[in-house]
Amino acid sequence: MKFNRRDTIRQLALGAGAAFSGALFPHSAFASVSGSAPKRVIFFLQNQGFEPGTCIPDGMKNSGSLSKVKLPEPIEALEPFKERLHIINGLHGKHTSPAHSPFFGALGGYRGSDGVPPGGPTVDYELSKVLPQTLLPHLCIGMDSIENMRAKPTVANLSASGAGQPIFMHSNPNHLYQLLYGGISEGDIRNQHEARSSMLERIESMASTEGHQLPLQEKQRYDQYVRGFEDMNGLRDRLAQVSGHLKKFAPKVDERYTNPEFETDWHDTLLDLGISALKSGTTNTLTIGSGRGEIFGAWKGLGIEQQGHNLGHMKQKDNPIWIKIRQYNSRMLVKLMEQLESVPEGSGSMMDNTLIVYTSNNADKQHTNGANWPVMLLGNCGGAFKSGCFTQLDGTRPINALYNSIMRVSGVEGDRFNMTEAMAKKYDSSTGPITQILS
Amino acid sequence: MFGRSTLLAFAILVIPSLRGKPFVPGEIIRGDFKQIGELFLENHCFDCHDDETKEADLNLLDLGPVDEINAAVWKSVWAQVAMGEMPPPNKSQPKITERLKFSDWVVQELREEMKEKGGFKANLDPKKANYLEHDLLFGELPNDIKLKPTSSSSRIWRITPQEHITRLNELINMEPAFNPSKPGVRTRGDFVPTNHGGELKLYFGTDRIIRWEGGTVAYQTAVKSVPVVLSSSRKHGFENYADFYSVNSSEATQILNKAEDILKYMAYGPMSLVEFPEQITDNPKTYDAVKPKEDLRGLPSAIVYNTKVVRPITPVYDLMRQDKFTEDSIRKTITFLFEVLTFRPPSEKEVSEYLQIVNESIKKIGREQGAFMGLSSIFLDRDALFRPELAKEGKADKYGRVMLQDWELGLAVNHALSYIRPDEKLRDAIVQGKMRTRSDVRREVSRMLDDDSIRKPRVLRFFRDFFDYDLSGYICKDQKALASTGTSARDNAYFRAMFDATASTDRLIELILADDKNVLKELLTTQKVVHTGNDRSLFGRRYTKEEQKNAQEEKKRAEELATLEIAEERKILTKEVNKLEGQAKANKSDKALKKMVASKQKELKALIKKMADMKRKAGNNVNTNVEEANFSGKQIFARVSRRSFGTGSMKPERTLSTVPESQRLGILTHPSWLVSHSDAMDNHAIHRGIWVRERLLGGGIPDVPITVDAQLPDEPGTTLRERMRVTREKYCWSCHEKMDPLGLPFEMYNHAGIYRTTEFEKPVDAKGEIIDSGDPSLDGPVANALEMIDKLANSERVEQVFVRHAFRFWMGRNETLHDRPVLQAAHEAYRESGGSMKVLILSLVTSDAFLFRKQNIQN
Repeated sequence: MKFNRRDTIRQLALGAGAAFSGALFPHSAFASVSGSAPKRVIFFLQNQGFEPGTCIPDGMKNSGSLSKVKLPEPIEALEPFKERLHIINGLHGKHTSPAHSPFFGALGGYRGSDGVPPGGPTVDYELSKVLPQTLLPHLCIGMDSIENMRAKPTVANLSASGAGQPIFMHSNPNHLYQLLYGGISEGDIRNQHEARSSMLERIESMASTEGHQLPLQEKQRYDQYVRGFEDMNGLRDRLAQVSGHLKKFAPKVDERYTNPEFETDWHDTLLDLGISALKSGTTNTLTIGSGRGEIFGAWKGLGIEQQGHNLGHMKQKDNPIWIKIRQYNSRMLVKLMEQLESVPEGSGSMMDNTLIVYTSNNADKQHTNGANWPVMLLGNCGGAFKSGCFTQLDGTRPINALYNSIMRVSGVEGDRFNMTEAMAKKYDSSTGPITQILS
Repeated sequence: MFGRSTLLAFAILVIPSLRGKPFVPGEIIRGDFKQIGELFLENHCFDCHDDETKEADLNLLDLGPVDEINAAVWKSVWAQVAMGEMPPPNKSQPKITERLKFSDWVVQELREEMKEKGGFKANLDPKKANYLEHDLLFGELPNDIKLKPTSSSSRIWRITPQEHITRLNELINMEPAFNPSKPGVRTRGDFVPTNHGGELKLYFGTDRIIRWEGGTVAYQTAVKSVPVVLSSSRKHGFENYADFYSVNSSEATQILNKAEDILKYMAYGPMSLVEFPEQITDNPKTYDAVKPKEDLRGLPSAIVYNTKVVRPITPVYDLMRQDKFTEDSIRKTITFLFEVLTFRPPSEKEVSEYLQIVNESIKKIGREQGAFMGLSSIFLDRDALFRPELAKEGKADKYGRVMLQDWELGLAVNHALSYIRPDEKLRDAIVQGKMRTRSDVRREVSRMLDDDSIRKPRVLRFFRDFFDYDLSGYICKDQKALASTGTSARDNAYFRAMFDATASTDRLIELILADDKNVLKELLTTQKVVHTGNDRSLFGRRYTKEEQKNAQEEKKRAEELATLEIAEERKILTKEVNKLEGQAKANKSDKALKKMVASKQKELKALIKKMADMKRKAGNNVNTNVEEANFSGKQIFARVSRRSFGTGSMKPERTLSTVPESQRLGILTHPSWLVSHSDAMDNHAIHRGIWVRERLLGGGIPDVPITVDAQLPDEPGTTLRERMRVTREKYCWSCHEKMDPLGLPFEMYNHAGIYRTTEFEKPVDAKGEIIDSGDPSLDGPVANALEMIDKLANSERVEQVFVRHAFRFWMGRNETLHDRPVLQAAHEAYRESGGSMKVLILSLVTSDAFLFRKQNIQN
């Protein structure tokens, strides 16, 4: 078994995300991918389904430009960003068994369900490996009711690095802040950070001593274990070394972190931390699970008293509750775009090199057979994807084909994503990327 | 690169110099490419694979010494020669020693050349273990081969995900003690089973839940559980050789996070899980008085825990109850935690090191948080994740081997059978210096094997790894293809049925192990079946088209019969309602009449509903697709997960019955095994054939050449056998003849594991053939799977191959020629004992291969 630096960094990203590498800043050390490849990707998955009526402009039945139509109320905040937007209707996920969420299968493109372990790597993880290298290639955040985020600050439902290898998402912004900015923080967060650093250093030292006694042929395997600690500690050191840079991006810790009034305070702070990790170049892939891939969740901060399962039993179009949730999502998307637009990169801004994939982990609704799986793309990867338009597909291509399209644009060869030819015969009418959505 | 005549001359000169010395397998072979590699290729390969003939498009003339570029070709050469596939039978064959020496040399060169480029370990993979010819282990050994007393490498062995979860589960959950009147029910020491969806998770506090809000999914979301984090890349076959895995930093990070959750639960119990203290009560109504008036489904606050303390009460609990920590209490906690996590007591130095970590954490972040953080570091101790077998303490014998002793030997023995800590007797033996000899091991292993209350999940794990019957719930089935099999289960209900089937097969194996007579033969030929109520259909027989038609008519008749009386009643009532409606229409002002009409209409509606229900109920009793198995037997139990899915969780109740006559024979014909070797759309005759070839016949299967597009044509309405005609092409058949004819006999079952006599309205063709098995008495055509299994179950060779697999599992490595005496002794012990698994295990774990370690052995 051989482990290289890249593997190690990748593995680090799966856990709480302690990792380091040479490249920290977005303008340096980009991997060699094609000119139109994204430099960072964001997956935003709202649970309970994404009903097409909440995003497709009224009366729009066929593919066409969005320039002369008005976006529906739930996503009207995206109106100023219409030229970056591509609404795709008519993908399917029938093979993912999406009723009540396919969990890992949503981003993996395979069968999933509650309690079912991941059947393979998910697209966000695969992309994090090929995008320009960063300290923490893959960051996952999960938004839920405040109770659930407190009781289970990390859960793994959406992303995976391989079969049976779930990737955890962070739901407590205090923990995530400590991970990302512990070195530049003060007070309790600083103390926690120092205590953990000191403990990890001692474990590393003990593990390293035990390694000396091992036979030569066992050392390599054991060295990987020890190197894990070195890397966790190394991340802290590296982050400390660039603390001047990080300070510019670190959000201010306020009452919303320590004493949230509603769950949305934590949703907002988690988003801020995600944005800061992108802007500072700490990560290249951000996965946001609003509802954490399950069929519950709460948004009381938006004035929605109902929470949990029933939200998925409602029709979403023209429903005031779902208008509020989708509007909240849209504001988050706008914030992501505005923040990334504010950072110059190359001849444009960071947003010019960013792809946002907004959809649901639950296809079009909670109880669904997955025959339709609407998606919105924001950003066109230097023109690789069409934008400013609506595309109506015929329901014969799976979400795997979208993931394959993104992988291809990111420089990865291959005609399928997580789909065998035998499955494809049944579930995909074509091969390779979805030509209708590419320029 | 070189002239062939020169080479030949060189060969003639060199060969005599290689003769005469006995060959010791695995020892370094002195000689470079010219002396060994080129010579062998010239003598045995160039005739067909030079620049002129290029058989199979392969020219070896320019291959040259092993390097990074040609490593893949050399690997194929190694595989073909090691397996005896090349040179082909119609060509002159190398001497056995020459073949072995060349294979060892190629491995040696590949290992050296690839050292910094990803390494070469293919020869250590269990899939390649059969490349070592069976007859060399159990037949005659050429005189010029010299064997050494065997041993295994000194090593560290990472624990498996299942072991890890079971070890952690011991800290927070009390599993019931073994109950001899209910064997099979999950007991302390059994492995933690996967949940309703097949995920391996650690559950917190589920044994105290007395109420929750919402349904099955709400329960699953609200309860606290954490998934396993150690990785395992197993798909088929042995999961865990000693050299497979390490622990990466993401796993280490998650273990730390999980550790704090576990420690908090150890200290505070469900209080660490709840939002409101009132959630812990024996009277849920007291919680109702204070709980939030909103939809709590899926939230931690939806759960009510009783007040009964059922978790283990440990020094962690005692420590956190103290107002002020004393050094003594922290030391005591560290000592306790260290032993429950590593299974051995810590040294004084280790306690001091962890004490320092705990004290530093407390100093930095305070008493409570600091204690949890500091103690969590013990979860990452090397020995909490790896089991060392370094044999540093003993004295080497004249062969350089050192016998394991004391804790290393005791834990190796414990690990041979168990996932949890050594019991008191074994612990005492270790502490008292009574784990140092072979007879010490025999004494302890015999004792443990004979005591049913000491659970042996490793033994069951061996059978899971050997048979691969536990994969059925992970085979994603196409719903339409599934419906065509005749099973009524769909979606998640189907997958849950498969996880239930795995648990049932586990139990069946345990019952056969309890008898401990002719274990392998029994497993292959048993008529017993452990099943749930829903399995009658899966163990049934698919109706022919004609029979389906008859069954549909029968169903119709049953529905009519059941509703005969009520239909008459409905007719009368309908007439009455119609009449009243007519009257009401004519007398619109008659309110009493209107009321009567409404009442009668309601009555009629209820009657119609009742009739529909009766019809459905009567119809449900008639299966129109499958003749269900007529099971009857006594109730037994199988091992299932803690409640993971509310009322939809798996249930332990099972029945022990007999399979329908002439339709099934042993667990290879049970749905759990058949579906595990199927795919989304159909049976997987190739996988099944590979399984029989490798696990029962001991044959090797080479890797699929990268030039092969391994796809069968998509031809709806045609049988798998017809579609597999493509594998009969010359290029494919040399490999496929080893598998296809062994897999096709299982076509007597469809891909849900249901027995069938017809396929596409024609009689099922389940013919097959055992070809070139290594035992001529086995070779020949077979009519179906039953005939094939019957033949195999009576074969001595198959028994020996089974012993080879048991060796691999318990040694954690592939066998070498030096293990020949161990394998022969184990097989003899198994035979002489009448096929006792206990005797086989005892023989293996008291062998030199298990007891002795040696540094730097190239396995």
